Amino acid sequence: MALADFFISLLTFVTIYSLFGLGLNVKFGFTGLIDFGHVAYFMIGAYVTVFVAMPAGLSETYEGLTGLGLATAFAGVPGGDLLGWLVALVVGMAAAALVSLLVGIPTIRLREDYLAITALGIATILNAVFHNERWLFNGAFGIREVHEPLSGVFPIGTGSFQLNLLLFGLPSVAILGYAAYRTAKVVRPLGVRPALLGTGATLALAGSVVFVITTMTGLVVDLGVLALNVDNTIAFVLLVGSVVAGRAALTETDHIGALLALASALLFTLWYLGQPLVALVADGETADLLLNLFWLYDATAGSAGGLDYDRFFFLFTLAFLVGAYLWVERTVNSPYGRVLRAVREDESVPEALGKPTFRYKIQSLMFGSALAGAAGGLWAANIGFIDPTQFASTVTFFAYTAVIIGGTANNRGVVLGTAVFWVINSGTRFLDDFFPSEYAQQLAALRLILIGALLIVILYYRPEGMLGEQDYDINLGRGGASDD
Amino acid sequence: MTEIHNPILDVQGLEKHFGGITAIGGLDMRVGEGITGLIGPNGAGKTTFFNCVTGALTPDAGRVEFADGDITGKRPSAVAQEGLVRTFQIPRELPEMTVRENLQLAPRGQSGERLTQAWLRGDEFATDEVRVREKATEMAEFLEIDHVLDAKAGTLSGGQRKLLELARVLLTEPDMILLDEPLAGVNPTLEQKILDRIHDLESQGYSFLFIEHDIDVIMETCERVVVMHQGQVLTSGEPADVKSDDRVIEAYLGEEV
Ligand SMILES: Nc1ncnc2c1ncn2[C@@H]1O[C@H](COP(=O)(O)OP(=O)(O)OP(=O)(O)O)[C@@H](O)[C@H]1O
Ligand SMILES: [Mg+2]
Repeated sequence: MALADFFISLLTFVTIYSLFGLGLNVKFGFTGLIDFGHVAYFMIGAYVTVFVAMPAGLSETYEGLTGLGLATAFAGVPGGDLLGWLVALVVGMAAAALVSLLVGIPTIRLREDYLAITALGIATILNAVFHNERWLFNGAFGIREVHEPLSGVFPIGTGSFQLNLLLFGLPSVAILGYAAYRTAKVVRPLGVRPALLGTGATLALAGSVVFVITTMTGLVVDLGVLALNVDNTIAFVLLVGSVVAGRAALTETDHIGALLALASALLFTLWYLGQPLVALVADGETADLLLNLFWLYDATAGSAGGLDYDRFFFLFTLAFLVGAYLWVERTVNSPYGRVLRAVREDESVPEALGKPTFRYKIQSLMFGSALAGAAGGLWAANIGFIDPTQFASTVTFFAYTAVIIGGTANNRGVVLGTAVFWVINSGTRFLDDFFPSEYAQQLAALRLILIGALLIVILYYRPEGMLGEQDYDINLGRGGASDD
Repeated sequence: MTEIHNPILDVQGLEKHFGGITAIGGLDMRVGEGITGLIGPNGAGKTTFFNCVTGALTPDAGRVEFADGDITGKRPSAVAQEGLVRTFQIPRELPEMTVRENLQLAPRGQSGERLTQAWLRGDEFATDEVRVREKATEMAEFLEIDHVLDAKAGTLSGGQRKLLELARVLLTEPDMILLDEPLAGVNPTLEQKILDRIHDLESQGYSFLFIEHDIDVIMETCERVVVMHQGQVLTSGEPADVKSDDRVIEAYLGEEV
């Protein structure tokens, strides 16, 4: 498996869990509600979405409630299965919100630690019900008949191999270049001009792109002197890399964070591009390099290559994450969000000023749960199979860890923290290769210890998380210019 | 004891017990328009009275009427929406929010405070917000905390916190304000300014019930004084009469006053 495939699946997880984390952030970060049962709404979202979309009689082994079949209800319309699935997702979100309302009415008046424990208990009970009641959603056997929206359409692409390569390859490279540019901005304190580093990295990438395209199309032979062969390209990349590293080294600074960012960016680039380059040089093997560079493009999908379903689904979840992010931002950057934060700080104040805090807390709980429900629906479609063990309470605690690492009450921090969490948890799996296989379990435990250690370090030195609480800005629209 | 014939706040038979302690024991009080002082020794039950009236605590017995409506046992937000708000004796600033945000929270009836409005009607609440922002700035300037508007409220000094507490309540523009020692810890020039403002607001139709231990302030400011002692009303009336009342001198003021 090429690294790109691994990253696509990792990023899809990060995106889904970020959406889940955004929901938690609404409750915990912006309203101060400690809901240790957050995973319950993830589970309900997943099950209800699957149940509403699932056509009846798909499987003999399924003994739960008969699905509502929305996936096939709009079969006549183009993209009808997507439409059906979207409706199912909205129902899943609504179901999650509704259950949280029922849970919230009796519990939300409780003091925060009691609320946390009660919510944990209710989530555990719900999980046990889903686990044991086969008539409901097939109990412990889970549901295999998960509808994956639009899965029939993929892979998509034009009939031409080269055109596909350009169509999907160029955006891929552009995004990588942009990522390099952003990294460059982080390392600005080192004195490396972002433009320089960004251009360098983009040039290196572009050089490789040109090389691969020309190799693939056999142009190398024809171009003669301009020949961009393997050696030239590697030399080119190394040249740019050494210029960048050299400049960084020459600039006196003590900014450890920026240095670390630079080092890890270089290491990552080496890992991501160096490995396939070695394979290319040694065996003339281009597949991995191609996949890693043009990560949106899978040459083996379909007859002429194209965008496969995994890659599409990543973009699909990303669209949901962006939508949810904007939605939550809109909510917190409003007078409404101001009341939510006041509730978090000291509930008695907004209450004394005439804000019905009970209603605000319930709404926040429902909104956060609906987002968790959306994450659940996406999770199910991504995995293609759900059972209650996927929704253990650890999922809630992982999300808390991610939110706290990234920055409580910071929506970008949630995404960052989730990425850090899952990169440590999944990315370090590659290190397992260096250890004998009988230690697999210990290594898994070690990963959690590592995350735990990171959490402690962060709580000790930076209790507000990597990014800290975000800034708020209520858009005053055309009516008023800011007066400060 | 003078009778109030058109009370805004009418409390009858109010009781509140904490375990064995009777904080309020069958208290009757009628508060009319204008500025009324509420005095009494430490632990007399003044703050507890505020808590019971505004719904922060549920009274064990009794009835609270405000502007001819029964507000007994209503939630504080409902009481505040009726137009009765209070300050906290120990200021409750929202520490992680800026002073500006603390103030902008206060005005009642902001359209953007409803979820649907916040999601769907950005333009509408934006105009509202501009107004709220101006009012908050004006109030901060008046109470001389405008230079810390963008600081986190948790960084304020003790006196500034009292001012913030007062500013927030004034910004709600209610009918009646219960002030729990708003001047404690405030510097003298500002103290006079606040008292002037209270008089201003009174002439605009606001009513105040004003807890204060400084008897001179009470004498100057209030048209009427209620004295509480051990969870009950000891007496009430004109400031001068109350001040010379033997029971008040014995329980609260002491001989030398
Ligand atoms: N939440 C509570 N739990 C137990 N006892 C309480 C509580 N609140 C008040 N009390 C008791 O009720 C009595 C009245 O307290 P309260 O705060 O009303 O006094 P106060 O008149 O406001 O005094 P001060 O002038 O010192 O502010 C005190 O004896 C106090 O200990
Ligand atoms: Mg008191």
